[in-house]
Amino acid sequence: MGRRPLPPVPAIIPLSPPHLSFAMKSRILRLTVAVGLILGSALSTRAAATKLVVAFLPKSKGNAYFISCKGGAEKAAKELGVELLFDGPTDSNAAKQNEIVENWITLGVDVIAVAAENKEGISTALRKAQKQGVKVVTYDADAMPDARSFFVNQATPEGIGHALMDDAARLLNQEGEFAMITATLTAANQREWQKYIEARLKEKYPKMKLVAVRPCDDLKDKAQSEATALMSAHPNLKLIMAICSPGVPGAAEAVKQAGKTGKVKVIGLGLPNENRRYVHEGVTDSVILWNTSDLGYLTIHAGVALAKDQLKKGAKEFTAGALGTFQIQGDNILLGKPFVFNKANIDQFNF
Amino acid sequence: MRTEPQPSPRDWPTRLLRHEMLLLYVLLAEWLFFYFAGTTVNRKGVLVGFGTLDRQFDILRHSCEIGLLALALTPIILTAGIDLSVGSLLGLCAILFGKLWHDGGLSLPLATTLTLILGGIGGALNATLITALRLPPLIVTLGTYSLFRGLAEAITRGAITYTDFPGEFLFIGQERWLGLPTQAWLFFTVALAVTLLVHRTTFGRSFRAIGFSPEGARYAGLPVARRLALVYTLAGIIAALAAIIYTARLGQAKADAGTGYELFAITAVVLGGTSIFGGTGSVYGTLLGVAAIAVLKNGLACLPVVMRMNAAEEMAGLLTGALLLFALAGSVLPKLWAAGRSRRSPPSSP
Repeated sequence: MGRRPLPPVPAIIPLSPPHLSFAMKSRILRLTVAVGLILGSALSTRAAATKLVVAFLPKSKGNAYFISCKGGAEKAAKELGVELLFDGPTDSNAAKQNEIVENWITLGVDVIAVAAENKEGISTALRKAQKQGVKVVTYDADAMPDARSFFVNQATPEGIGHALMDDAARLLNQEGEFAMITATLTAANQREWQKYIEARLKEKYPKMKLVAVRPCDDLKDKAQSEATALMSAHPNLKLIMAICSPGVPGAAEAVKQAGKTGKVKVIGLGLPNENRRYVHEGVTDSVILWNTSDLGYLTIHAGVALAKDQLKKGAKEFTAGALGTFQIQGDNILLGKPFVFNKANIDQFNF
Repeated sequence: MRTEPQPSPRDWPTRLLRHEMLLLYVLLAEWLFFYFAGTTVNRKGVLVGFGTLDRQFDILRHSCEIGLLALALTPIILTAGIDLSVGSLLGLCAILFGKLWHDGGLSLPLATTLTLILGGIGGALNATLITALRLPPLIVTLGTYSLFRGLAEAITRGAITYTDFPGEFLFIGQERWLGLPTQAWLFFTVALAVTLLVHRTTFGRSFRAIGFSPEGARYAGLPVARRLALVYTLAGIIAALAAIIYTARLGQAKADAGTGYELFAITAVVLGGTSIFGGTGSVYGTLLGVAAIAVLKNGLACLPVVMRMNAAEEMAGLLTGALLLFALAGSVLPKLWAAGRSRRSPPSSP
């Protein structure tokens, strides 16, 4: 363990070759450079330089919800003749999202579309992108308003509230008792949706009566026992509306086990995959969400229009290819009415 | 490696050198390859990709935290120990820092200092269990690996994320100071300190001696327990520093910070030529290992081919594994060859 000659302290980034004994090592170096050059020219393509490049970042890339968004994004990219990059963390990792965005900045992409895992965290990277002339739009989950030009808003609380209430009224012929299952009585988004549901009820459906609102703590089991309790406490109950995603299959299971399929209808806000079985069995009538494929499609169209200067701040509406015209509220592009999944169409969606 | 015949003092420095030089060639080859293959001109005629200075700085910024953990692990692995808890401790320290500043209302310098101390206490907990109870480091740190992460999740109930840090704090992680990303200066300072500790002081020699043979070191009069306590506590402090840098880089402190970083760090140390059985290795090797992995990971993300496959992360994992195995094989083969040759011819004095 005595003294020993040390190599020059290696820099993390060797911008210049360190002092090797050149006579001996030059052959290796020359070979390396040659191989690098050959492989380099073989791998780099010139196609990227002519097309507009749009990068699409999901919260996590294995999530079926985002894969379904990607489907619509690809369709839009094809129509518009742009190149689409799709990459994201394999898990929902905010740090990885930042690294991927920073990577895209140095790759010189034209547009970055982001579903933010962490609002504040991603915004630092997005501001950096904007500073370097990259156009930024967000979809699904917004970043800070100053870190992007537009947010493609998949659903307003008003839209969701009205869609749920209207669908319940349609199923009950605007008459009878119904109950609601929420995540918690305090969650901000649930309160907001509930507010619009109750307003719609008061305004348009005087013969319908909301008899109870029960929390399920975002648990399917709890939703099931709450639904069972609701049915025995209110024998005239005609419909259960669950406004948190575990609540819909939970309520459906309770109705099915009570043998009241068809007598007590179930609707709610949720994902097609969780509810597919109950929809096919006729327990659940409709599941309400938004069309994820359209969300991806609209996002890419908005991003490209932004890069081509066709979409500017202050615009009131925006036309996105085959989907037609969308409203813009402030800096939110509204995807519009929620989408109703039912027996007829649920099998076209996988998320 | 205790079972293999001890190489003569004159022999092993040259072997070490050979491993580090090999790694340096690999790093150079990687860098040149990505420079030529990963740099393009975009639609606007601007040079983009791997060959830009911004990209090089991004590589540096992204490797500071894992680099720090690798520096913390090098002395530990030299003593034939291991610390699996550094990544979790990073997460816990990030949360503690966020809580001290956000909920505790402490000033940022005070919160930082306290976090470093708490990191040291976390490391000292490992050290106590290892030295006082004589438990194997692998088992102890496997326990604290879950313990620290569990604490971080318990404090935040898995839901709270601390954000809204002021600009002067984010400066550490997002801006440049004197031409380099700010955190790089901290990283280089720690690298220098650990290099001096391991290669220029008697402490460093004692780490290797403990790694070769803890009993032998004890008989030679070395305070083995105190030396071990030093390396594990130091690792805790460095993990806390990495937590501060991580928080400043992302502008958020969340309970999942640094998940899996311990394995990247261990990979870098082993790739750098430090024997997992202790006794041999160097900080230079570790730095090269960190650089080789960082350049590979970031370079791949710049290749148009990989980009279109959307598989940069997966490819990086795969190739890092291949690189590690290649490097290990590369360092063992000359030894096997030398052993074969010495068996055939009688040893001659140099």
